Amino acid sequence: MVIDSGPSLRYGQALRSAIGKVTDKPVVQVLITHHHPDHALGNQAFADAPIAALPGTNAQLAKEGDGLTENMYRMVGDWMRGTQVRVPEQTLEPGVKRFGSHPLRLLAFTGHSGADLAVLDEKTGVLFTGDLVFYQRALTTPHSPGLLQWMEDLQQLQGLPWTLLVPGHGPVSQDRRPFEQMMDYLGWLDDLLRDSAANGLEMNEVIATPIPERFAAVKMSKYELIRSVSHLYPRYEQAAMARVEQ
Amino acid sequence: MTRVPLLLLALCLGAPAHALDPGPDPVPSVMWEFYRKQWIGDEPYRFDQRVKVVAPPFAEDARQVPLQVDARDVPGRVRRMLVWAELNPLPRIVDFAPGPDVLPWLAVRIRIEQATPLRAAVQTEDGVWHVGSTLIDAAGGGCTAPSVVRSQPGWEERLGQVLGGRYPREDFSRLRLSVAHPMDNGLMAGIPEFFIEHAELFDAAGRSLATLELWPAVSENPSLSFDLRRPGPVRLSLRDNNGNAFDAAIE
Ligand SMILES: [Zn+2]
Repeated sequence: MVIDSGPSLRYGQALRSAIGKVTDKPVVQVLITHHHPDHALGNQAFADAPIAALPGTNAQLAKEGDGLTENMYRMVGDWMRGTQVRVPEQTLEPGVKRFGSHPLRLLAFTGHSGADLAVLDEKTGVLFTGDLVFYQRALTTPHSPGLLQWMEDLQQLQGLPWTLLVPGHGPVSQDRRPFEQMMDYLGWLDDLLRDSAANGLEMNEVIATPIPERFAAVKMSKYELIRSVSHLYPRYEQAAMARVEQ
Repeated sequence: MTRVPLLLLALCLGAPAHALDPGPDPVPSVMWEFYRKQWIGDEPYRFDQRVKVVAPPFAEDARQVPLQVDARDVPGRVRRMLVWAELNPLPRIVDFAPGPDVLPWLAVRIRIEQATPLRAAVQTEDGVWHVGSTLIDAAGGGCTAPSVVRSQPGWEERLGQVLGGRYPREDFSRLRLSVAHPMDNGLMAGIPEFFIEHAELFDAAGRSLATLELWPAVSENPSLSFDLRRPGPVRLSLRDNNGNAFDAAIE
């Protein structure tokens, strides 16, 4: 079973050949955690396996997939050669589903991208969080319904009986540190945006905020702050202003 | 006997009183001379880092790029501020004339079509233009992307709604406004230009504090911020190119 197929046809093929070095068993199922291009554009490499995702993910891929793919071509060019969106043909319902001897608990959240699948292998305790958890790499927010929603999702996720955590980005972990870092970072970002809006700061002033020392190990935080301010700040601004037309 | 007048003549031709060495352009572009001639003409100008044009290094959303112009460090009173995105199909953003009670500072959100220099030419009372510049990178398409406003049902009823806030600072206060308007730039098939072209700030006594001309490089639902030297209620009046007038009052 493959969880997330990567950003391109070429990556998906490389993933396949890496799997072939560990086992000669076939890939019987692909699960896509969410619609972001770095997770769902390697699907073509698994043409012979069924691919499944949450209904929301399939809808987002059908609607925005081509645009996201074009953007990837613009960013990395030839590495994307031959890559096209393949929308998963199966839809997943939350609940426990057996794959071979592994009962997988499928969980549906929304905090990162609007439709976020997390997968807990009840046999081994391995928890695949998708991009609900970033560890040592700044989280991304282009389709987040809101940071408070994301924090609620994390509260539920961390209460599951997991033993090994596989974040969407960053190293695997046997302890709670990825959750602690996520909650801390999301809380900081939410406070920053709310306080800035309450004080009438401009986007460029918010972007210039220094990243707290405790997030020094979180890569790309400066870059992602620029993006997150663009994605999220307008909502905080609107909430902090009043109707004044006459 | 003829030497002195000749010398004078030479001085006049070679170095007219208003000539200035503009210094090096920090972000050279093929369109700079074209727009300089168009908007600054033969008036004296210099590239001046004291005019701070602030934008992110890249446009995460090319339809809503935050831009801030700060000319508070330029000596002398600022008369006008012309702001443009040099490689936009529609480059002009605003022409801002702050009165004495308004700081030479402005924030606005804009559309950009591609990576471009952003310029602010700030004219002081001595007639000199001080030109601040920065570069912004962009995947592009901000001027030709479909309108978000027009995709929202009922937008016509919200036309001219204004969100506002006033935020005290140590020695001034900030005024922030967000106006519901599509700011159509005429680049979308079948949708003619429809944009707020004029804004004016008044104090409680009806005295004009500042005027702002806008072009549709300003984003839809325009966000505008001003810094006012004095507290007290103000009124903003807006007019679009279809003759609609909107008013807002902020304490
Ligand atoms: Zn993601």
